[in-house]
Amino acid sequence: MTVRRARQQAIRWLEALMWMLLWGGIGAVIWRPDATTAVARLVGIGRGADLMIYAAVIGLLIMVFQLHVAHGRIERQLTELVRKKTLDEWIGQ
Amino acid sequence: MKVVAVIPARNESSRICRVLEEARPFTQNIIVVDDGSHDRTSDVAREAGAVVLRHQINRGQGAALKTGTLAALRHGADVIVHLDADGQHDPTAIPALIEPLQSGRADIVFGSRFLGLQPEDMPSWRRVLLHGGLVFNRLALGIPRRITDPQSGIRAMTANAAWRIPFSQDRMAHASEILRLVTRSTLRWTEVPVRVRYSAEVLAKGQRSADALSIVWELLLGAFQS
Repeated sequence: MTVRRARQQAIRWLEALMWMLLWGGIGAVIWRPDATTAVARLVGIGRGADLMIYAAVIGLLIMVFQLHVAHGRIERQLTELVRKKTLDEWIGQ
Repeated sequence: MKVVAVIPARNESSRICRVLEEARPFTQNIIVVDDGSHDRTSDVAREAGAVVLRHQINRGQGAALKTGTLAALRHGADVIVHLDADGQHDPTAIPALIEPLQSGRADIVFGSRFLGLQPEDMPSWRRVLLHGGLVFNRLALGIPRRITDPQSGIRAMTANAAWRIPFSQDRMAHASEILRLVTRSTLRWTEVPVRVRYSAEVLAKGQRSADALSIVWELLLGAFQS
């Protein structure tokens, strides 16, 4: 699915690679849940499941923030566009 | 001095006529910015003799004010007055509002609801909310304690001041942003008492608690972006 999207140019290949790594990671965790416990102990968290949750929350928050900033930029561009049209129409009267 | 009023309006066809009539004696021109209204606001304003600009889609009061202010500057305005379209602001306050500009002791004047004139029928919850906004502005945004009404929608500025305040907040956070830009510049500001007229309609439409929170949020993000 990810490869298909990359072929469609909906997302860049680098992004596709990152997403595939993510899907692969999730798949590995589902396949072998115990693997997460080993990593968790490295960081000092008791259970692998907890580590997954913390990582997911942090990752999601970062994503939301990026989306929000991007959204703000789009809104400002939209206003500039609307304003330009408004003023051009006014001058044209 | 050429005084031009800028009135952002959205779906105010029922109320804008009165505002235009009341503001006319004190202004040379009135620019109404129709911010994506679905009713006849544009037509009504045009029939009443105002210069009408229209945002094809709604962009927010701040965006409409900025569009109108730019138009006013191109119209050769010396003084620009910002006013609400719902009749909340009493246009007879305009002479008092622009007097500090005319006498040269200020570059921008804010109308304050809390400088002594009793607001007509302001409910206590709204008073508390506005006071909360005041405290927030002081603490979080570094706006000096002397400001008594940071969310005021009525203000007047010289053309020169207008050029020097490039505010970009589209929605309700523009009031605080203007304040922040002014207090961090060399522009001289002052406040003048104004009376506000609250009616059931105005209250229903006005800033809700949720709006206050979204203003906070917009300003915080704005601080990161600029």
